[in-house]
Amino acid sequence: MLTGEAMEASRIQRLRRYQAWLEVARPLTTVIAALGVGFLVTLLVSSRPLQAYIALLTGPVSTPARLGTWIEDATGLIWLGLAFAIVFQARQFSLLAEGQLHLGALVAGIVALRMPLPGVLHLIVALGSAACVGSLYGLIPGVLKAYLGVSELVASLMLNVIAQRFYELLLTYWLKPPGAGYNWTDPFPLTATLGALIPGTRINMGLPLALAGTVLAWLLLYRSTLGYELRVVGANPEFAHYAGIPLRRTILIAMVVSGIPAGLAGAYLAAGIHQRLILNISLGLGFEGIVVALLARNNPALVPFAALLYSYLRIGGDIMERTAAVGSDLVRLIQATIILFLTAEALFEIFRRRVFRREDLHVGK
Amino acid sequence: MPFVEMRGITKVYPNGVVANDRVNFEVEAGEVHALIGENGAGKTTLMKILYGLERPDAGEIRVRGATVQIRSPLDAIRLGIGMVHQNLLLIPEFTVTENILLGMEPRRWGLWDRPAAVRTVRAMIERYGWKIDPEARVANLSVGARQRVEILKALCRGVDLLILDEPTALLTPQETHELFRSIRDLVREGKTVIFITHKLREVKAIGDRVTVMRQGRVVGTLPAAEASEEQLVAWMLGRWVSTTREHPPARPGPLVLSVEGLSYINEEGRQILRNVSFEIRAGEILGIAGVEGNGQSELVEILAGLRRPTAGEIWLNGQRLPPGNPRRIRQAGLAHIPEDRLRNGVALSLSIAENLIADRYFNPSFSRGGWLDRGAIRRHASALMRAFDIRAPDPEVPVGALSGGNIQRVILARELSQGPLLLLAAQPTRGLDVGATEAVHQLLLQQRSQGAAILLVSSDLSELQELSDRLAVMHNGEIVALFPDPRQISEEEIGLYMLGLKRQPLINGKMEAGRL
Amino acid sequence: MSENEVLRAILSPAFLASVLRVTTPILLAALGGLVSELAGVINIALEGIMLTAAFVGVVISAYTQSAWAGLAAALAASAILALGLAFLHLELKADLILTGLAFNLLASGGTVFALYSLTGDKGTSAKLASRVMPTVDVPLLEAVPILGPVLNHHNVMVYAAFLMVGVIALLLYHTPWGIHVRAVGAHPEAAASVGLNVRALRYQALLLSGLLAGLGGAYMSMGYLQIFQRDMTAGRGFIALAAVFMGGRHPLGTMLAALLFGAADTLASQLGNLRIPPQWVQMIPYVATVMALAVYAIVQQAAARRYL
Repeated sequence: MLTGEAMEASRIQRLRRYQAWLEVARPLTTVIAALGVGFLVTLLVSSRPLQAYIALLTGPVSTPARLGTWIEDATGLIWLGLAFAIVFQARQFSLLAEGQLHLGALVAGIVALRMPLPGVLHLIVALGSAACVGSLYGLIPGVLKAYLGVSELVASLMLNVIAQRFYELLLTYWLKPPGAGYNWTDPFPLTATLGALIPGTRINMGLPLALAGTVLAWLLLYRSTLGYELRVVGANPEFAHYAGIPLRRTILIAMVVSGIPAGLAGAYLAAGIHQRLILNISLGLGFEGIVVALLARNNPALVPFAALLYSYLRIGGDIMERTAAVGSDLVRLIQATIILFLTAEALFEIFRRRVFRREDLHVGK
Repeated sequence: MPFVEMRGITKVYPNGVVANDRVNFEVEAGEVHALIGENGAGKTTLMKILYGLERPDAGEIRVRGATVQIRSPLDAIRLGIGMVHQNLLLIPEFTVTENILLGMEPRRWGLWDRPAAVRTVRAMIERYGWKIDPEARVANLSVGARQRVEILKALCRGVDLLILDEPTALLTPQETHELFRSIRDLVREGKTVIFITHKLREVKAIGDRVTVMRQGRVVGTLPAAEASEEQLVAWMLGRWVSTTREHPPARPGPLVLSVEGLSYINEEGRQILRNVSFEIRAGEILGIAGVEGNGQSELVEILAGLRRPTAGEIWLNGQRLPPGNPRRIRQAGLAHIPEDRLRNGVALSLSIAENLIADRYFNPSFSRGGWLDRGAIRRHASALMRAFDIRAPDPEVPVGALSGGNIQRVILARELSQGPLLLLAAQPTRGLDVGATEAVHQLLLQQRSQGAAILLVSSDLSELQELSDRLAVMHNGEIVALFPDPRQISEEEIGLYMLGLKRQPLINGKMEAGRL
Repeated sequence: MSENEVLRAILSPAFLASVLRVTTPILLAALGGLVSELAGVINIALEGIMLTAAFVGVVISAYTQSAWAGLAAALAASAILALGLAFLHLELKADLILTGLAFNLLASGGTVFALYSLTGDKGTSAKLASRVMPTVDVPLLEAVPILGPVLNHHNVMVYAAFLMVGVIALLLYHTPWGIHVRAVGAHPEAAASVGLNVRALRYQALLLSGLLAGLGGAYMSMGYLQIFQRDMTAGRGFIALAAVFMGGRHPLGTMLAALLFGAADTLASQLGNLRIPPQWVQMIPYVATVMALAVYAIVQQAAARRYL
C-alpha cells in the first residue's frame, strides 16, 4: 500500500540522516566534553588556567615550526590508526601494532645501517621490509586465534613485549656504535631517510606516504573482495560462515594486513622523525592508535582527521607545558576521557532507541 | 483452595509477540499437573512468570489463597516454588554439592562447611534412591544425572511446588522412567508438580490433570484420565483454515538430494539425530513436520554445512558433499533460508547490496582480480529489490534499518535469485503477516516449478499441508512418518506422529512409503 | 665475571631474596587479576591502579609523615578507580577492555600531571620526603634450613603478598562468597537463577582486585623503592594478567607464574654482567605464556571436536 511504503521510506530517510549526523556528532561531542573535563582540572591546578588552555588549543598552529611538528606527529598516528581500523573492522581485538611498530623500526634500521643500497632503492627496501616484518608478525596471533581460538588480546599483549625486548636487544648489542655509552644508533644515511617535503619544515615524505596508505586502506576495505570479506566477518561472523566466507582465513588475513601500516609506522618513526634508532622510539604510541581508530569509527577515510585531531591535543599539551607550566600529561587525561566517553555505549543507546525501530525485527520464538 | 492460582496473566514482549493472553491457570496441592502445548504456545513464559524470571504485564498470582508479587526467583523460592529449566543451569566446573547448595551454603566460622554440605546432599540423594556422587564434578555426569541435580537444587530450598520444563527432552526412556518414579515419590511426600511437555504419552503416564495452551491462551483443563489423545491433539493444534489454492501436481524429476544414515550428537552428548535417511527430487517439496526441538533445526544446519554430522552421508546431484563446508555446498547448488534470520541470514550493519552478494561476491560478474565491481553489485541489488519487492529508497540502506518483513525479503532475494538446485527453507514465514506469508509461498512454488528440490521445515501444519508434495514427520531425531500425499491425512493424524504416539513401520529398514 | 661466578651469584641467598622482592608487586596484582577474571570481569586496569596507588602512597605519606596513612590513601584511591571501572562497565555498558586501557592512560598521565603540579618535577618524587613500609625481622624464619636467610628480613609487604596467596585461595574456595564469585564468572545465568546478585558480586570482585593491585603499587613506591617514578609500573599490570593465565587461573599457579616472571626479571639484571643480553631472559616469561596459551588451546580442541 502506498501510504505504508511512503512511511517506511521516510522512516528510513530519518534514520539515515540521524546516523550520518551521529558519525560526526559523536566524536566531536566526545572531544568537546573531554576538553571540558580537562579545563576543569586545569582550573584546579594552574594559577592561569585560561592562558594554559589557550596555549593548548592554539599552540600547534601558532608558528610554522609547531605546525610542522603537529603534522609530523599526526603522520605516525595515521599509520597506527589505519592498522587498528583494519583489524577492528574484522572485529579482532589484536593490539599487536605496538610490537609491529618496533619490529618495523628495527628492520628499517637494519636496512639503513647495515645494507648499503643506492639512492631511492635504499629507502624503498627499508620501508618495504618494515611492512613485511609487520605483517609476518601478525601471523602469530592470527594463526593462534584463527586455528586455535587463542585470545588475540592476550597473545598480542605478550607478543608486543617480546618484540619490544627484541628491538632493545638488537639496538644495544648490535646496531649502536660499538663501545658507545649511550643507547642510540648513528644517524641513518640520507638515502634511507624520508626527506623533507616542504624544505625548512619537519614535514617529510612520510605524510604523502601516509595519505597514500589511507587511500589504499580505504580501497582495500571498501572496494576489494578481501575487504568485503573482512567487513562481513566483522559485522556478523555467523552470517559470514553461513554465506560461505572462510572465517579462519579472513581472520588471519585481517591480522596480517593490519601489520603493514603498523610496521610502516615504525619505519616512519625511525626513518622519518628520528632518523636513527633510539631506545624509547614509541612511548606507547601503539596504544594511542587505538583511540584514533575509535574516533574514526574504524573508517580509513576518517583516520587522517582523527589523527590530526588527536595529535593536535598532544602537541598542544607539550606547548601548554612549556609556556604555562601545566603538565603536558593533562593531555593524557583528556585522551583517556575521550576513550571513556566513546565506549560508554549506554549514553548513546538512549538516543538510538528512539529512532531505530527494532521491535519488529525480532520475530517471535 | 488451589495451591497456586494465576488469573488474567498477560505478557506481551517488546517485539509485539503476545506470549500470554489473559491466562487463567490453577494447580491443586499434591497433584501432578501437566501443561502442554506447541512451541510458542506460551507455557514456558507462564512458568517463568510464576518463577519470577519474567514479570507479567497484567494479572495476578495467588499462592495458598494470598495474592503475591513474584519479582525474582528469590521471591518464588521463598513462596515454595522451584523450577527446573529445560537448559540446565548448572555450573559444569563445580561439584554436585556446590551446585545444589549454591547460594545457601552451610557455614562454619565464616567459612564454607564442605563436610556438612556433602552430608546434607548425600542424605537427600539417598532419600530418593538415586546414585550420584555428591563430590563428582557436574561436567562428568550424564544428562539424566545432571537433571536430578537440578531437581535436588530446587528441592533443598524447601520448595513445595516444583516446575519441570520439558524434563524428558534430555532423557533416555530409561531415565524418563526413573524420573517418573521420582516424581511419584515427591508427590507422596506432599509436593506439587507442574510438568511442561509436548509429549502426550507422558501426560497420561504421570499427570493427574492436564491444561492445554495454544497461541498464548488456555484452551482447556481436564483430568488426565478423561482426556483422549485425539482431544488433546485437537486442542493443541487448533482448527486448520483451508485454502482453496491448488497448485499443479508435482512432476518430480531426477534425484537431487539423498541423505543416508545421518546421525548427530551435540556437544552435551545428547543424540539429536538418529539415522535419518530420505530423498528429494527435482521439482518437489518435502515438508518436515514436527514440534520444535526434535532435530529439525540441526538437520537443516547439517545440510547447509553449518554443523558436522556424527555419521551419515549427504549426496547432492550425485556428488558426495563435504560436511561442514558452506561454500562448497552452496557452489554445488544449495540455498538456505535460515531459521534464525538475524543471527545467520543478514549482517545488519551492512547495506542491502552488500548482503545480497555475500554468497557470490567472488563470481566474475561481481568482482575481478580481487576488486569489487560496484556498478554490477548495485545493478544486481536494484534488480533483486524490484523482483522481490524489497522496500527501501536505495540499495545502500543498511539492512538493520529495514522492517522484519523486508529483511526476510532480502534473504529470499539472495537465496532464490540463483535458481538453486536444493533449497532449504527453515520456518520461512515465521513472524510474517498474511500478505508476506502468501508471497513467500508463491516464491516457493515458483522455485518448485523451476525444478528446485525443496526441503521445507515448518511448525505451521497448514503451511506444510498446503505446500508439501510429500510430508515427513520428525520426532525425537527420527523420521517417524512419511506421507506421499499430505492432503489425504488429517491434522490430527499428523499430530499423533508429531507427538510420538504413532510411528510408521520400517520396511527393509527404510521408509518405503515415501519413495515414489 | 665468569660463568661459574654468575651461577653462584644466581643461586645465592641474595639473589633468591631479590626474586621474592621483585615478584611481590606482580603477585599482588596478579591475585587481583585472578579474582576479577574468575568473576568474569577481567581487570585490564591493574596497571593504572598500581601506578595510582604508588603515587598516592608517596604523596600522602610525605604529607602525613606516616607510611600507614600513605598505604591507606593508596588503597582508597585504588578502590575509587576500581569502582569507577565497575560502574562504567556494569552500569553504562562500556567495553571492559577499552575502559581498562583508558584508565591506564588516565593513571599514567594523571600521576605525572599531579606530580608536576605538586613538586614541579616530572620524573620522580625525590623532592618529597615520603615514608616507607617497615622491614620485618622474624628470627623464627632464620631457623628454616637452607632458605632461612632468603626468607627473613623482607619488607612487610613481601610477606603480605605471599600470605595473600593463601588468603585469596581460602577466600575463593572455602568461603561462600568465593563460590558465588566463581559461579558468577562461570555461569552468570545459573547464578542469577538461584538468586545471586550477579552485578553486586562483580562490583565486589573488581573492588577486591583493585585493592590488591593497590597493595602492589604501594609496595613499589614505599618498599621496593622509596620514591615514585613516572610509569614506574612498567607493564607489571599486564604481566600480572599473563601470570593469571599461565597459572591456569588458580591462586597457586598464579603465584608460581608470578615467581617465574620475577625470577626472569631478576635474572635479566644479573646477566647484564655476563655477555648474555638481559632481554633474552626478559622475554622468556612472555614466550612461555604464548606457548602455554597455544598448548592449552590445542588440548581443549582435541577434547571437543564437533563444531566447525
